[in-house]
Amino acid sequence: MKAGSLRNVGIMAALLIAPVAFALSAGGYEQRIMTLAGIYAIAVLGYQLIFGRLGALSLAQGSFFGIGAYTTGLLGIHLDWAFPASFLASLIIPAAIACIIAIPVLRLESHYFALATLGISQIALLVGVNWTEGTGGANGLYGVPPLRILGTALDSSEAMLVVVWCVLASAVLAFSCLVKGRAAHRLTLLREAPEAAVTAGIDIGARRLSLFVASAAFGGAAGALQAHSIGVVSPAVLEFQVMVSILAMTVIGGRGHPAGAILGAVLLVHLPEWFRFLEAHYLVAYGAALLVAVIIMPEGLAGLFRRWLVTQERWAPEPPRTSKPEVPTTLAVLHLVGLCKRYGGVVALDNVSITVVPGEILGLIGPNGSGKSTLINVASGLQTLDAGEIRLGNLDLTGMPAHGRARVGLSRTFQTPVQALGLSPLESVLAACPAGLDERRAERHAAACLSAAGLTAPAVPTTSLSPAEARRLDLARALASGPAVLLLDEPAAGLTPAERDDLACCLKHLTDSGLGLLLVDHTMDFLLPLADRVICLATGSVVAEGPPSMVARDPAAIAAYFGEPPP
Amino acid sequence: MGASIPQLLVNGVALGAAYALIALGFVLVINAVGVVMAGGFVAVTITEYLTPWANDNLPDLAFIGPRASAVGLGLVILPLTMVVMAVLGLLFSALAYAPLRHRPPVSVFISTIAVGLILQHGANAVFGPEPRVGPPLVVDGNFALGPITLSIQQLSVIFAAGCLITGTGLLLSRSQLGRQLRAVAQDPEMAEAIGISAGHCIAITFALAVALAGSAGMLLSNQFFVAPSDGGLFMLKAYIAVTVGGWGRLDGAAFAALLIGVFEVMMAAFVSYVMAEALLYAGVLLVLLVRPSGLLRETIQRRT
Amino acid sequence: MIRRVALLTVLTVHLAAVTATTVNAKDAYIPILVPITGFIALEGTAQRNGAIQALENAPEGVTVTYEVSDTSTSPEVAVTALHRALERGKPVAAAASIFGTQMLAMAPLAQRAGVPLITVSGTAKLTELGNPYIFRFFPGDGVVKVAHARYAVEVLGAKRPALLYQTTSYGQSGQAQLAKILKDLGAPLVFEEALAPSAKDMLPALAKLRAAKPDVILLHLHSGPTALAIRQAREAGINLPVVAGSAMHQPSTAKLLSQAQLSGVCAESAASPISESDAKLVAFTREFRTRFHTEPDAFALAQYDGINMVLAALKDGANNAEQVRNWLASHTFEGLAMTYKSDGKGNMAHDALIVCYDGASLVPTIVKRYHNVDGAL
Repeated sequence: MKAGSLRNVGIMAALLIAPVAFALSAGGYEQRIMTLAGIYAIAVLGYQLIFGRLGALSLAQGSFFGIGAYTTGLLGIHLDWAFPASFLASLIIPAAIACIIAIPVLRLESHYFALATLGISQIALLVGVNWTEGTGGANGLYGVPPLRILGTALDSSEAMLVVVWCVLASAVLAFSCLVKGRAAHRLTLLREAPEAAVTAGIDIGARRLSLFVASAAFGGAAGALQAHSIGVVSPAVLEFQVMVSILAMTVIGGRGHPAGAILGAVLLVHLPEWFRFLEAHYLVAYGAALLVAVIIMPEGLAGLFRRWLVTQERWAPEPPRTSKPEVPTTLAVLHLVGLCKRYGGVVALDNVSITVVPGEILGLIGPNGSGKSTLINVASGLQTLDAGEIRLGNLDLTGMPAHGRARVGLSRTFQTPVQALGLSPLESVLAACPAGLDERRAERHAAACLSAAGLTAPAVPTTSLSPAEARRLDLARALASGPAVLLLDEPAAGLTPAERDDLACCLKHLTDSGLGLLLVDHTMDFLLPLADRVICLATGSVVAEGPPSMVARDPAAIAAYFGEPPP
Repeated sequence: MGASIPQLLVNGVALGAAYALIALGFVLVINAVGVVMAGGFVAVTITEYLTPWANDNLPDLAFIGPRASAVGLGLVILPLTMVVMAVLGLLFSALAYAPLRHRPPVSVFISTIAVGLILQHGANAVFGPEPRVGPPLVVDGNFALGPITLSIQQLSVIFAAGCLITGTGLLLSRSQLGRQLRAVAQDPEMAEAIGISAGHCIAITFALAVALAGSAGMLLSNQFFVAPSDGGLFMLKAYIAVTVGGWGRLDGAAFAALLIGVFEVMMAAFVSYVMAEALLYAGVLLVLLVRPSGLLRETIQRRT
Repeated sequence: MIRRVALLTVLTVHLAAVTATTVNAKDAYIPILVPITGFIALEGTAQRNGAIQALENAPEGVTVTYEVSDTSTSPEVAVTALHRALERGKPVAAAASIFGTQMLAMAPLAQRAGVPLITVSGTAKLTELGNPYIFRFFPGDGVVKVAHARYAVEVLGAKRPALLYQTTSYGQSGQAQLAKILKDLGAPLVFEEALAPSAKDMLPALAKLRAAKPDVILLHLHSGPTALAIRQAREAGINLPVVAGSAMHQPSTAKLLSQAQLSGVCAESAASPISESDAKLVAFTREFRTRFHTEPDAFALAQYDGINMVLAALKDGANNAEQVRNWLASHTFEGLAMTYKSDGKGNMAHDALIVCYDGASLVPTIVKRYHNVDGAL
């Protein structure tokens, strides 16, 4: 086990044990507050999955909390179900509901997603308040039986406290399993550079769904414990106030690390209690404290202790001994046949057909607006085709989502390199490695990709990479999935002549193993010497095709650039 | 049916007009700084407390005479409250936005909630929890127009809201200040580069937004009374209006808010209040399913 | 680095401070756990004021300390407040929230700790729990709703009553009682509609109400919505007599309406201190006004009476919570609003009255008293 993760475990253990020990030595009041803090910490932990890691502002977490509470209440009162059956149901039912609403809702973007989840939570509240026969209406449910473990009822504050924090500990374990190692890097990549993530083979849809469902289960667990701890379930658990509390705890605690969930919950549950002596003004003080907290702690409480908590994987300690990638590349021919794409009235691609064979560098030139970027977007799957076919070897990629294409061997780089600033270069490439590789092989593979892309600078954080190095990182990431064909979108833009030469050399080497390159660029003295074949696009159609020297002198190509044939 | 559809429509439009003012303030802030001013609803509540206070005390201060006979006092109070609210808006932006302008939007969401809490509970502590009634804009009273009974207050509300919305629109599209505000909203760095102070413009935007929300509060306080816990619901409706109308569009937000007001009243009349609320949310979800970018197209790119 | 150390120190100090202080053990400790924020703040503040007035006028030889702790709007906060109170001293009794669901959550904890809860909550279920530590000093729905219904049917002669009620625990339990009682009286409801506390435009409900052709309007809403409903009904030309719930007797509700709008409006309540001419009640009202700058209502008066009964127990020699509880359960107490005596389940109040506004003043007159409605006295 790495030293860093041992330390992490130690810190988390301390964070889980210290509050319990403190509360047990204090009285019933402190135990009550700490129990509440533990309950909210579970909900916040779940929220960190969907909001902290994935960056999606879901406003339904409070409702999952409430649904879990009602599930436990109803099962306990009407059907006499006890722990663990009712508890499990309180995990499964919110998760199931999350599954159902996820399908239409997850594909929405940021604020629409927020509004949709808000709408659903308001409907849940309406049901809770008005369905008097089912949920007891505004009166709620009374007489939720206390937690029973092995026949003993646990209704003393000490027992409840210990049970809740044990559940929290299991929740932390579950959380770590869900976002372990490379999975965490993949999520960060997905959050900060979604397009890069998708084209590296990460399935956004599946990730969002699984995390959304998981977050609902965490929320439901917290709600179930809340129901047991006060014995009453009222529509107050479904109100927006709960969501606001969870959100505030996530932000104040720090949304990146499970320690943040615990710290945030403990602080924000205690805060209004500290101010109680102010009587009528205590919520004013609470608001002020909240404001101060969010201003002085940009990364939350966990961010204050960042140095001790986070161990970013450093750059590969020594240069790799082998530059053979661990992921074997299959050789395949890329066929783009008859591609058509329109934007409203504008024709971007008009019946374009291109073939890239293994080991060849195919250059693609054309004036602005000729459809080069569209071609790459459409080939990689980031935009849809109106008509045409895409085949890689024997596989038909037309209609396959972008992440699928990356997995079968089609990668791309971006015109403006997309970075995940929260990841080191090594972590970025690790995130793009196929999921099936184990840790050792993945690290070797990532190191090999980095060196193949020519990124051998000493360890630097991603934020201080030079533009040239950023492009190399982009390239390394594209290589990580073991592509057969690589689409490069203007890799030489903004580079100095020396850097361009370096890059040309590097790209040439890449083709040695049979990798095919489709290279789009404007810089003629970079592209023409490098390419084996060149195609010229103008207003969406192919106007010239052949060896570089020939295309450079082709009248149609020249006319496309200058507007008139050569004199 | 005990009330005619035109009657219900008038009620719905009056309610929707007030919602539109709040939504407008919302959109202005969203456009300017890309954040949801969650705590801004509090402006509605504060005004609703200020106006009765002003109503009780202003006549003495201004020697106009006994409160009950001061026709048009509301017309004086409205701009006054808007000025006070504008100052509050400057304060709001200084506290909740300025220290966090380089942070992700969710931090500002929390800070606006925090400031909203301070103001709301401050109001509760200062004014007390009793519901209050504000003065009519012009004068109390109804008159009949065919089958419809119109209250003068309702008409004044619709008229005043209309003026304020149009005025805001004109300010933004025709005046130099408006152009500067829009420039900062679209590209703050570029605006700074050509000499517009982004900080000032953002503060003014907040002031304008809170003043609009405050005006809605004042207009609502006569017909619908006010209690400290009112603000949250208006914020919810405004948020729905802004999102469904097309994120960032002023006309979309105002239009959607009107729709919401009419929808609420009509549904409550034909089905029930509970169903009206449920159908509103269900309707929103349906709109989002069918047109994931809102009813009208978005005009601004999201800030990441 | 300094920032972090400072923050850690502040956090630890506070965590310690939370549990450090306790109340002086010699005095009798009575915490006041009521909602002073949130949508129930109006009634909660009345409770607080009534309790404080009683405690500040404690009889000779009885020394009490008290503290006010907000219970906000959720059961969770109420239970935490009770825990805190239990820690800060050994309460002999506690003034407890008017909010039904909060009471339900606090009840088991109070029972375990052996502390009697003095409440003015009307939620019926409270006294059906078999919990001997709940003492309700406001007549429950089983009393006030009977008065409400009987006045409408027997005095106003209603045969086709219509009801608007709130979608809160208060509203829903009141509706259940009213529907049953009216049916038993032979005048079942011809129309009912539930309104959320946040509903602003009542026209849709009033339109449907008018179509049902009722002869009296019954309201079971909170303060603001009651006033809204009456005002909008009058503006819509609906001039039927209105018998409203307790909210309408509250002076703060009456202030929202004009005198013309109040004509023909009556309300049920346990008491109406501002309408009484009895010397003691006048003195109470005057002191309340001076101390709190607001008019007292029945909730304040009921809480005042409840705490006074506890103080009477203390004066009579009760030393701890258990003895106070036994005293409350076995004695009769002459309060300002009425005579209080437990029916064995914790219901202390058994009288109700109806007040009506005559359209000339904001102070209602008491038009009918219902004495010992449930026969428990």
